[in-house]
Parts: sequence; C-alpha cells; structure tokens
Amino acid sequence: MSIIMQLIISGIAMGFIYALVGIEYTLIWNASGVLNFSHDKLITLGAYIFGGTYILALKMGFVQGILLSLLTVAIVGVIIARTIFIPLRNLTMIYTIMATVMLGKIIVEGIRLFWGPVPFSVPGFLVGTVKIGKVVISRANIAIIITAFICVCALQLFLYKTKPGKAMRCVAQNRNAAQLMGIDVKTVMVTTVAISMIICCLIGVLVSPLLNISTTMSNMIGLKGFAAGVIGGFGYLPGAIIGGLVIGIVENFASMIFPSVYKDIAAFVLLVAFLLIRPKGITGKTR
Amino acid sequence: MDNPEVVLEVLDLVKRFDGLVAVDHLNFKVRRGKIHALIGPNGAGKTTTVNMITGENPQTEGDVLFEGKSISGRPVYARAQMGIGRTFQNIKLFSAMTVTENLMIGGQSKTTQSLLKYLADFRSARKEERHLREKAKEVLNFIGMYQYRDEIVNNLAYGRQKMTELGRTLMGEPKLILLDEPAAGLNPSERKEFIEIIQKVFETGVDMFLIEHNMDVVMNLSHDITVLNFGCKIAEGNPKEILVNEEVISAYLGEGYRRKMAKGAEGNA
Amino acid sequence: MKTARRNQYLWMGALFVFLALVPLFADNNYYITILNQMVINMIVVFGLNFITGLTGQMNLGTAGIYAIGAYTSALLSKNFGLSPWLTMIASVCAGFLLGRGLGYPSLKMKGVYLSLTTLAFSEIVRIFATNLIDITGGTQGLKSIPRFSVGWIALDTNTKYFYFILVVAIAMCLLSIRITDSKWGREFRAVKDNQDAIESLGLDIRRIKIRAFTLAAMYGAFGGALYAHFNGYITSLSFTTDLSINYVIILMVGGIGNILGNMIGSIVVTLLPELLRFLGDYYQITYCILVLASALFLPDGLISLYGKVMGVFNKRSVAEGGE
Repeated sequence: MSIIMQLIISGIAMGFIYALVGIEYTLIWNASGVLNFSHDKLITLGAYIFGGTYILALKMGFVQGILLSLLTVAIVGVIIARTIFIPLRNLTMIYTIMATVMLGKIIVEGIRLFWGPVPFSVPGFLVGTVKIGKVVISRANIAIIITAFICVCALQLFLYKTKPGKAMRCVAQNRNAAQLMGIDVKTVMVTTVAISMIICCLIGVLVSPLLNISTTMSNMIGLKGFAAGVIGGFGYLPGAIIGGLVIGIVENFASMIFPSVYKDIAAFVLLVAFLLIRPKGITGKTR
Repeated sequence: MDNPEVVLEVLDLVKRFDGLVAVDHLNFKVRRGKIHALIGPNGAGKTTTVNMITGENPQTEGDVLFEGKSISGRPVYARAQMGIGRTFQNIKLFSAMTVTENLMIGGQSKTTQSLLKYLADFRSARKEERHLREKAKEVLNFIGMYQYRDEIVNNLAYGRQKMTELGRTLMGEPKLILLDEPAAGLNPSERKEFIEIIQKVFETGVDMFLIEHNMDVVMNLSHDITVLNFGCKIAEGNPKEILVNEEVISAYLGEGYRRKMAKGAEGNA
Repeated sequence: MKTARRNQYLWMGALFVFLALVPLFADNNYYITILNQMVINMIVVFGLNFITGLTGQMNLGTAGIYAIGAYTSALLSKNFGLSPWLTMIASVCAGFLLGRGLGYPSLKMKGVYLSLTTLAFSEIVRIFATNLIDITGGTQGLKSIPRFSVGWIALDTNTKYFYFILVVAIAMCLLSIRITDSKWGREFRAVKDNQDAIESLGLDIRRIKIRAFTLAAMYGAFGGALYAHFNGYITSLSFTTDLSINYVIILMVGGIGNILGNMIGSIVVTLLPELLRFLGDYYQITYCILVLASALFLPDGLISLYGKVMGVFNKRSVAEGGE
C-alpha cells in the first residue's frame, strides 16, 4: 500500500513538472502562435545558470542562487523574444518550428562551450527523504509539488488580477483584435517569453536533484510536456496541468508493470491514444 | 418523401454557440429551377445557415434534406460530391496557383483515376489531365475569364478572383450553388457582370441559393426570398410580397427603401 | 513559365551527371562515403517534400521512419537470409503501413498534431531500438548487414553502390516529378495554400494529407533500407531527433516544395558539416546559426536565389520558383 502511495506522490511530482512544461510553452503558443521547440533547452539553460554558475562557480546560497537565476533568465528571455519570437510571429509553422529548434541547438552548443561537456550535479541541494507515516518521500518531490503549486497560483493571480496579465489573456484570445484595442502586442510577447523563461528556469532548478545537469537532461521532459498539452487540450492552460498530472501518474504505474526502460513510452502512447479517441483532450477545449 | 419540386429543404434547424441561439427553428425549401435568396441584417444567422447546409459547422438540432435525402452528419466533401457547391464571403482560393489550376482542382473530385494506375499507365493519365484542362477552358470561356487563365490568382483584381471562385465551383458540376454575398466588394460594373453570369449559370439548370445584402441584386435575381432576423424567419415569399411586408421593412429594409422602390415602380410603369 | 520548368529539369539532369562524374576524379573512400550519404539523403528528402514541402504539414519523425526501414531490411536479410531486394521491398511496405497508421490519428485535425506525434513516434522507435538488445543490438548496433548484387555485378565497393543508388535516386526523382505534376501534386499544394477551401470542392482533406504522408514514409523507409545495406552496420544511436531535424533542414535550405531545391539542399547540407569541420569546437554552433539565419532571411531556400539571379538577367523572372 505504501508503495502505491509513494508511486502516486512521485507521479504527482513529475506530473507537476510536465504541467509546468505544458504551461510554459502554451503561454508562448497563445501569445505568438509559435510552438517553442527550444523549450527543453531553455530548461537546461536554467539549470546550468543556477547550478553551474551561481552555486558551483560563485558559491552562493541556494535561495540567492535561485533568485539570481530567475532574474538572469528573464533578461535572456527579453533578448530572445526581441530577436527570435517577434520576427517569427507572422511566418508559417515550418519556419517557426525550425527556427526554435535551431535556437535550442545553439543554446546547447553555447552551454557546451561555456560550461563544458561534462555532466555534474549540485551537491546538497534538496537531497534526502522525509518519512510521513510509512510513506517515504524525497525532499525534491516535496519541493516540486509545493513550488509548482505556488507557481500555478501566482500565474493565475497574474493573469486575472494584473493589467499585463489581462493584456496577455486578450492577446491569447485574439491577437488582431487586441492590437486594434490598443494593446501593444510586442510588449505582451516580450513579457510572455520572459515569464515562460522564468518557469523554464524553475523547472530546471527543480529537476536538477533528480537528474544530472547535462545538455540532454530535459529532452524527455520537453517532449512529455508537449504530450501533456495534447492530452489535456492543446493551448488551454488548465488542460496542460491536468494532462501533466495524468502523464506523471500513469507512467509511474506503467513502470510497475513494464520494464522501467519503457517508462518513457507511456506518455507517447497516451498521446496517440488521445488523438485517436478524444483529439480535443481531457478538457475538450483546444485553441 | 422525395419531392421533385424541392432541391433543398431545411427542417427545424437550430444552431447554438455556448448557449447563444444563432439560428432558431428555421424551415425553408429551395425549389428546383428557382433562385432562392436569404436576406437579413448583420448577425441574423445567414452565413451560419449556409455553413450548416454545407456541413462546415453542423447544426445543433434539426435536419437538412438534399434532393429528399437527409445529409445531416455527412462530411463537407461528401455533400460537395453530392452536388452542393459554394462560394465564400471572403474568397478562399489557392492564391499561389494559376486560375486554370484553381479550376482544375475544382473538377478533381469527378476524376476517377487511382495513383497506381496513373504511375503505370502514361497514356490514360495524360488523357484525364487533358480532359480536366479542356473542361477548365470551357468554364473559363463561359464566365469570360479565358484571358486570365495563366495568371497567378494573387495578382488578380478582387472581382476577377470572385469570378475565379465561381468558376472553380462550376467545375464540380454542382446541382445547387450556395453563394455567400456574391456582390460584396464588387464595383457596380463588376456587380452587373457577376449578376449576368449568375443568370447564365442558372439558365444551364443549376439551382441557386444566395445570401446577399445588396437589395438590387436580390430583387433582380431571386424568385423566392426568406428573411431572417435574430436567427428567426420573419417572412417568406416572392420579391413583391417581401417588399410590402411590414415586418421586413421595420426589421431590415427601412422606410426609405420602400419609397425608393415605389418610385422605381412608377418610373417603370 | 514552361521554360522555367524545363530549365529546372535541365539543372536536375546536370546535377545528376555532375554527381556521377565525381568518383572519377575523387576516388577516395571518404568522398565516396559522403556521396553515398548525400544521395540517400536526397531520396529521403524527395519523400519529405510531399508532406512538409508541398502539403505544408510538419513531419518531425523522419528518423523513426528511416530507422524502421533500416531495421526491417537489415533484420530480414540478416536473420532470415532473404535477398536484400525482397527485404527492401518489405521496408517500403513497412513505410506504407506506417504512413497510414501514423497519419490517420495525427492528420485528423488541423494544426501541430503531426509534428508532435511524429516526434513522439520517433522517440518510441529509438527507445525500442535501444532496449530490445536481443533483436536490434541496441546501441552496440547490428553488424554485417549484407550487400547485394544487381544482375551479375556485385555491389561490393562503395563506388559501385554509389552508382546503384544514384540510379535509384534518379528513378525516385522522376517519380516525384510525375506525382508533383499530377492532380495529386496539385491537391498537395492546394492543401498548403488554403486548407479551408478543399472540402467544399468535394475533396477529402484527410485522405490527401495521409497520401502525402504515406509517400513520405515510403521514401523514408526505402532510404533507411539503402542506408543499412550501404553502411553494413546500424545502431540506435544514429536515429535521433537530430536526424529528423536534419532532413527538414535539407528541405528548408534547398527550397520548400521544389524538387531541384531538394537536390541542392541535400548536396549543400551534407557537405556543410564537412566544410565547417576546420572550425573545431565552434563548428556546430556556426552550422546552427547559418541554418537559423536561412530560416529567417531566406525562407524560400537557395533555389529562390536562382530565381532572383535569373530575374536580373531576364525580366520574366521565375515566378513559380516556389512550386
């Protein structure tokens, strides 16, 4: 019984990671119609900035390191938005996909040149476990669940209570109409990409205790985040969260039945199954 | 059930968008050998009705009968193959292709050859393609577009593009054409030409169902008129009856139009 | 217009003749290997051109398709001793089934679904190929995949194999031209141009897209099989997402939807990494920046440069360069 509880909790934790990935690219998709294929590399970049630079090289405290990393990636986000996403917003899909893919590869090469090719980990960051009753939960999972929850709530508050957030929702609804109503779509896109980058960085920081920090660390997370979006309902934020949680839990249970090397396939099988049976996703809302 | 007099019939058609009723229990019949117009103010549900008939945005309730058979639930392309052609309010052409190519695609659903046979049998392949090209040429001559046959659609004036779209629809040999605002965006001389072509097409035995704002076009062309307001049918009849219908005047035409028409009638007399 | 098309055919012929002449002057295994890879890439991209180039639907699963083709032919010929001719046909059949099976769910709806499912499919194939070690050899790979002979000529050297696949590529090129110039090619282009109008003309848009995707899968699987028998060795490490991306890069750099562009793209993109090798550590990043710049500033590919240059020479510029 406690094993099942443990599987559910670690499934929820990974699910929240996928949900955050889903949110992070859905934000950009809604704001600019660009499917950001560089998002997994942006997650990796966040982990490197946090672990490689602020913690290992500059020997900062974890809290300080996280805050400075978030600030750094927000600035990077503004730059990327201005140079890549704004010029891309009116091109057809093949170019936007390829441009973001190439952006991802450039980031990976940049990482390799700047931080070197050897994977590493951040010692002492969110290690160890906590025992609640009979259930053993890793600290990393607890941190993921709490942070992701706060992150989702903060995003909701931002989108519904603040002026820039409302502008973002308007642009997501109808970019042309928003522009006609006097909303500066470019500013909204810059804000969106910066926020998306902050979420990416948070994901990178949160998964760094689970995976080594390496250039390929988030390949799978990125793909499963896409699957989460489709399963929940493509382009619909609550859908991404639900889809992420479903994938996280299902794949953990799949690893009980099938050899664990095939765990990663669960998400993709779910993706294809949903496309066949219910292409609009669990929530039935797509954009 | 099968009434040879009626080509299209809609029965209690309802369309709801998230609780908003766009079309409410609409009934009408398009008679064979007639031009039927659907008019009404903006937002009355005219284009919604056309999209329900073609299947692009199917109805919430009710039924659509084409030549006596229910076509509800059938996909768009199947309805088109049965003989329902259409044009769009904002032209939807293949803008990077030539006029002839656009027309040829319009006739392609009638071609039968399979890909394997095409790859194996050079001669019959070329024959089918030649046949399609000939047919496009005929249609282009018919609608007076032959001189534009090799132009890229994007480079054509709006009126020519509209005509190309009509030609493309004709290539599918439809029995009924749904025209969504054929005169919108045309200048007076283009409009006159378009009306003449529509008349010409109609005389070859194609039934017409049109949505139009321009009352001159409607009065000139149509035999039957259905008037919609807020998704409900408020009147039905021939142009003369519609012109004197009080409800139609107050909802749509306005007093000014009646006076103008009255004057026109006197002038004609 | 007709002359522009004839010019393109002439260029294609000239390129093939040129490729056929290269081994006479550079008979060194390194060059011949690159040439083989170049022509195999060309075949795969001729296929990808149907779905991504003409029909405009993004396929990011070429690596998976290619892998299926390679493993099908390699395993059947190696384990069951079947003639590679037969097993290559089996590969093409596998590609056909794949195109139908994968195309159906992902092309039912408009939008990004094809990109995502093909990407996911490719990963599934890679994970299986890596972990089913008893069958595929995993990352260690599958060795001694047999070569074969054409009539009495055994394709025992890379040069002979190159001439064989060059002939195959010419055949595939002709097939591509024939399909592109037919009513099916016209339907493909129509889907890319205006999706909303197709159905009202009595054409089933899903069938058109699935047909284009199936063609792509058949070409891709065939390319994979040719690769397996050329290399004699395949490992799951080669069939990564980067490989899929690379095929789209070839398509984009050459000129989307244009068969001559596909050829130019294959030649340039296969050679580019070799030419940039002198940059050492910086070669990958330079390559990526070049490709990104080409996506942003030369969206119609290298072939559009040809159109522009010819336009300077004679006023009647090649209007349908993107055809």
